[in-house]
Amino acid sequence: MAQIVLDRIDKIYPDGTKAVDGLSLDIPDGEFVVLVGPSGCGKTTVLRLIAGLEPISRGTVRIGDLVMNHVAPKDRDIAMVFQNYALYPSMTVRENLAFGLRMRKTPKPEINRRVRDAASILGLEKYLERKPAALSGGQRQRVAMGRAIVREPEVFLMDEPLSNLDAKLRVSMRTSLAEMHERLKVTTVYVTHDQVEAMTLGDRVCVLRDGVLQQVDTPQNLFDRPVNLFVGGFIGSPSMNIITAKLTKDDGGAAVSFAGHRLAIAEDVVQARPEIEAYFGRDVVLGIRPSAFEEASLVDETWARMSVTTHVTESLGSEIHVIFVIDAPPVEHKDVADLAPATEEGEAAAALYKGKSVWTARVDARSEARAGDRIELGVDTRSLYFFDPGSGLAIGNKQAPAPRPARRGTPAAALQGQR
Amino acid sequence: MTLATRSEDEVTVAPDDVVEDEPRTPRGWWRLALLLVGALVFVFPFYYMIVGSLQKTQNQSLSGALPQPGNLTLHNYSEVNAALDLGRALINSGIFTGGVLLATVIFGVLAGYALAQLHFRGRSLLFVMMLLLLMVPFQLLIIPLYVLIVRNYGLGNSYLGMIAPFAINSTAVFIFRQYFMQLPKELFDAARIDGANELRILTRVALPLVRPALLTAMLLTFIGPWNEYLWPFLITKQQRMEPLAVALANYMNTVQSTVANPFGTILAGAFVLAVPAVVLFLAFQRYFIAPNIGSAVKG
Repeated sequence: MAQIVLDRIDKIYPDGTKAVDGLSLDIPDGEFVVLVGPSGCGKTTVLRLIAGLEPISRGTVRIGDLVMNHVAPKDRDIAMVFQNYALYPSMTVRENLAFGLRMRKTPKPEINRRVRDAASILGLEKYLERKPAALSGGQRQRVAMGRAIVREPEVFLMDEPLSNLDAKLRVSMRTSLAEMHERLKVTTVYVTHDQVEAMTLGDRVCVLRDGVLQQVDTPQNLFDRPVNLFVGGFIGSPSMNIITAKLTKDDGGAAVSFAGHRLAIAEDVVQARPEIEAYFGRDVVLGIRPSAFEEASLVDETWARMSVTTHVTESLGSEIHVIFVIDAPPVEHKDVADLAPATEEGEAAAALYKGKSVWTARVDARSEARAGDRIELGVDTRSLYFFDPGSGLAIGNKQAPAPRPARRGTPAAALQGQR
Repeated sequence: MTLATRSEDEVTVAPDDVVEDEPRTPRGWWRLALLLVGALVFVFPFYYMIVGSLQKTQNQSLSGALPQPGNLTLHNYSEVNAALDLGRALINSGIFTGGVLLATVIFGVLAGYALAQLHFRGRSLLFVMMLLLLMVPFQLLIIPLYVLIVRNYGLGNSYLGMIAPFAINSTAVFIFRQYFMQLPKELFDAARIDGANELRILTRVALPLVRPALLTAMLLTFIGPWNEYLWPFLITKQQRMEPLAVALANYMNTVQSTVANPFGTILAGAFVLAVPAVVLFLAFQRYFIAPNIGSAVKG
């Protein structure tokens, strides 16, 4: 069994692109860690650096107690599952599974035993003599998984192993993966851009942006206490509603107001986060998760009230997503821009709403809200998020280890970002 | 853990497409006619070679293009065989061509793999140099090569001397490089993690996937040394070492006036020279198909 320790690793490509920037991460033995982030954030690169498929520019990688910087991939005692499976097309399933063992001169009976075991775990017995071309996507995925299992490695590395499967199969494979980890207890590093996979599979989840680690935590903590606007916006689906709002305090207590709405904040919320005091009378970025909304008639009066006009409703059976427009421009912050790379569609949508913010509220399925209706929403002010409008850091999150600026380019620019 | 084996996982193999004959449109007829003319133009030299090689006396008139029952004989073949020992010449050609093929494939695959998949300093420079070498015509190199191989290495009048200048074929290296580059990168990563060294990856993973390329390269290379005249002519001093192409050319210059139908015997020799190439093409043309690389990745 093995722990993985990444110590301030950098990866700089020959063209100067910094794909990974000062990443430090301790993965204890047997943990399932998920690397997540938008595409191009360097998560796959991190996996390839651990595997040794690419050399590290700076820093050290330890697996077990050994520094692996200059150890060949085959000697790191790892197994990797690739997004496109990378099965050997000229070999049968049996040969695919046995290849790694044969290369390591494992005795024949041992190879046969392990291949048989893996095949029965994955339900591949019937297909052992087939070639990959004669398998379906799900079967190929299982062979790729089996190829990793038979090796009985210290570490599993998985690069978006489920992203080529259809939605239904993906869910069942996700469960199988979780069961498999429960059973084998092998240290696993799993890369995905799908935050549902990240939240459901990971003991801990690492959010990456532009090669910089933003936050490592349990899925629940990531959801409840994001360190910055980026993590807050990335984790959770539908994603967090954000707006620039004014924080005030008067005789009636603390409140936050934006675009004609005013939400009173309970005293205990302020007491729990004394740092908020410094922001009274100033602008903050307010974050409200869709799940913090509910139809006003269904909640007690401790919830703040907000009256909005429904734009669209999406009924999901168990809940309804109410989409409404807030009469204030969307927050323009680097963290927000990084979440959704500018696309034509995005710009078209922005034009459609004429520079206004589009919010989502998740309400109970009993709600009768219909498009165009004026409805009264309750807002759970205990689960409001406040971010500094300059740095994007969460206000009052004691965990927040000021992350290094995620800027490509000159050191001067990086310094500016730090200020 | 139990992974449900789902019914939708079953792969059904579609029956071979049955192409039905559609009634031809006028355009279809035109196309057929055009193709027929083209085919005739290409087939005629072969046909005339066979007919001409079977003539007892030379008939250069238009009617000679059709076989005349009274004018048919196999005499030309025994004549050319007696003059230049066809069997021996064919064996020489075979050794020469086989050696070149073997060297082309071995060195081509090794160099192509290195240029495509290994990362080392100066790789691009090496590749560019290799492409530049393609631009130098062989005739330009003949004198230095002759001096090097015959005088310095003492390989005159030997098979090795014949093969050496053609042993490394930069076109083949280029073809193999392109094929190896098309293979998905993850295949090589997976094999490296599985513990295979580069030679194993090459032989066990990469080569089976480029087999069609291998055959194409071999077939395309075959015709070169098989028909090569100039270099073996320079390097062979004895008739028993001459490949068929050289032997036949020498025969044309020296002994052809002594036989009854010199034209027929030359065509008979040419026929013997052409047969292996034609047979090889017919036998292997089914390998000119797309490789099954796609199944390595995705579903």
